[in-house]
Amino acid sequence: MGLRLPSKVLEHILSFIDSNEDRNSVSLVCKSWFETERKTRKRVFVGNCYAVSPAAVAKRFPEMRSLTLKGKPHFADYNLVPDGWGGYAWPWIEAMAAKCPSLEEIRLKRMVVTDECLEKIAASFKDFEVLVLTSCEGFSTDGIAAIAATCRNLRVLELRECIVEDLGGDWLSYFPETSTSLVSLDFSCLDSEVKISDLERLVSRSPNLKSLKLNPAVTLDGLVSLLRRAPQLTELGTGSFAFQLKPEAFSKLSEAFSNCKQLQSLSGLWDVLPEYLPALYSVCPGLTSLNLSYATVRMPDLVELLRRCSKLQKLWVMDLIEDKGLEAVASYCKELRELRVFPSAPDLDEANIPLTEQGLVVVSKGCRKLESVLYFCVQFTNAALLTIARKRPNLKCFRLCVIEPFAPDYKTNEPLDKGFKAIAEGCKDLRRLSVSGLLSDKAFKYIGKHAKKVRMLSIAFAGDSDLMLHHLLSGCESLKKLEIRDCPFGDTALLEHAAKLETMRSLWMSSCFVSFGACKILSKKMPRLNVEVIDEHPPETRPESSPVERIYIYRTVAGPRMDTPEFVWTIHKNPEIGVSHLAIK
Amino acid sequence: MSSSKKSSDGKSSEIEEAVASLTMPFNKILLTSSDGESFEIDEAVARKFQIIAHMIEDDCAGKAIPIDNVTGDILSKIIEYAKKHVVEPDEDEDEEAKKKLDSWDAKFVEKLDLETIFKIILAANYLNFEGLLGFASQTVADYIKDKTPEEVREIFNIENDFTPEEEEAIRKENAWTFNG
Repeated sequence: MGLRLPSKVLEHILSFIDSNEDRNSVSLVCKSWFETERKTRKRVFVGNCYAVSPAAVAKRFPEMRSLTLKGKPHFADYNLVPDGWGGYAWPWIEAMAAKCPSLEEIRLKRMVVTDECLEKIAASFKDFEVLVLTSCEGFSTDGIAAIAATCRNLRVLELRECIVEDLGGDWLSYFPETSTSLVSLDFSCLDSEVKISDLERLVSRSPNLKSLKLNPAVTLDGLVSLLRRAPQLTELGTGSFAFQLKPEAFSKLSEAFSNCKQLQSLSGLWDVLPEYLPALYSVCPGLTSLNLSYATVRMPDLVELLRRCSKLQKLWVMDLIEDKGLEAVASYCKELRELRVFPSAPDLDEANIPLTEQGLVVVSKGCRKLESVLYFCVQFTNAALLTIARKRPNLKCFRLCVIEPFAPDYKTNEPLDKGFKAIAEGCKDLRRLSVSGLLSDKAFKYIGKHAKKVRMLSIAFAGDSDLMLHHLLSGCESLKKLEIRDCPFGDTALLEHAAKLETMRSLWMSSCFVSFGACKILSKKMPRLNVEVIDEHPPETRPESSPVERIYIYRTVAGPRMDTPEFVWTIHKNPEIGVSHLAIK
Repeated sequence: MSSSKKSSDGKSSEIEEAVASLTMPFNKILLTSSDGESFEIDEAVARKFQIIAHMIEDDCAGKAIPIDNVTGDILSKIIEYAKKHVVEPDEDEDEEAKKKLDSWDAKFVEKLDLETIFKIILAANYLNFEGLLGFASQTVADYIKDKTPEEVREIFNIENDFTPEEEEAIRKENAWTFNG
């Protein structure tokens, strides 16, 4: 006989259970627990917007307060996903508006968001507080204006690296004079100038404002005036620094920064001139996060800045930092957890920067807490990888982008197999791995065998044969996302390990050797996967054996999607096979 | 705290209540459980229960208050907890006291079986005793965290009433959709 557990009691208990894993377990205990859990789940995360239908999610969790959704696959960031592929937010917004009126927070990544969506959000959710759009597109500043104007309790409005149709800076003036709730505002990706007086007044009447990220159109004078009104900021993204230095301007800027005693995160700094850097010195000792990826500052100017940042945990910087600058980081930034080094020059020919593998080695040696790395570099060595693995077994994320395709160890001319083997074996907590450089199938055998906790794996320009894919799909126990470009993988491994694909969120392969015929076979064999062939030239017109340009495969409980453009082929579109299987919406 | 069993005669218990109201020492409140147990407690302790605090404010509390929804054994435990928590130590100011109290709380709940904790949650909800409601709920939540559905069923002695198909469908939806 079971315990008497009234749903009211269970509700109280569940209010202390937040993680999705735990709530998923709770939902499976029995029918009444399923019901109580679904009616009390507040935060919903959907990693692939096509894995489930919006209607099903809205119906299951009517008391949703927070929704996080991801759309396009990650390689969309590198322009590998053609425009119009999909990832539309509208069906989700529509479904939530109908069934989940308590929704307060929406976070979208790599989705197509229209002004209509934004207007619908503004109109439908009375208590709407948080809108974060990352790498989204499809909307204009009019949509932003609608949110600003209507959402009385808006706390967070962040547009991170979105492509926005910028119709001017008026949107900012749509925040009503009565709005005082703002905690975070990020409009760094917009081009147009906003009226500085509107922004000043908004900042002045927002006592809870903690995070402000300006766009490059905001001048230094504007920045000074805003900092004076918001000395309580903990996160700041400056406007552009590319203005002529005037002595009074410099001292005003210095003073404004020195009054921001709680500043922990600094970004923006577009085209900052080295002469301005000393204005930042006063905030350096308190900084935990510094994003210099737009700062074209070179060595040795960077050292003076970095050596003052003893509390720094996160550093994003361009390769202009050079090995020498990374030595300074290793010496002074002992709290560093995350390092990202981006390429400053898009072409290899232009690149003449003294940033080598030694830079990463020295940081790995000096920064004991380092756990996340993204490093773009022209070439690398096995020895460096071995050292990094030995020194930093605590790495959780290791993404190495050797810019030259198929580049071997430049000292020994061998593939980088040994090096990545050391990383996979040594870093037992590795969750995310990106490999590059010349790699043979052997490397993937090691990775398949040892990278037990890796959830996301990215591979470019690597491998000898199909064996590579075979090793990965038969190993890598925790693999959830696999993305591959320009590798000689083909049909055999894919078809042999079809079942593995149901244990993963998605697989992306572009410029590989997967044939159209194999895609058809896979589609028929695995009806619970959506197999999408993304090809500018319709594959049906080519021989079955010809390789397709891109293939995107993901598990889904929603069945085939109905919003595919012309250049996306799925088996459901195939007139010979698909007609009777087409789901009627 | 004194506890006395009432007679089963309803009429005489009314009289007893009235007598109690008149003869109760100042700042003491008498709570009577649904099964007739009486508990005399300080007003400060009684005020931990919001419904009683409101009654006191509104002056509609006699000095004797019937708690119809809660049995004596549960009420006794709740009062025990309330007495210990009349003054909540400030974590910053008196770390020592907070630690001691946390330790007492842990021992308090250790002795209780799950069924009793559920009854306490229900009662604390009825009495609007937020501190205990939160503490008891968190305690049970901790039993559930990081467990599989099978393990949870075992702890709570719950039967799985899903069909295999239903269970599989939910498992799939959970894993393929909401689990990243």
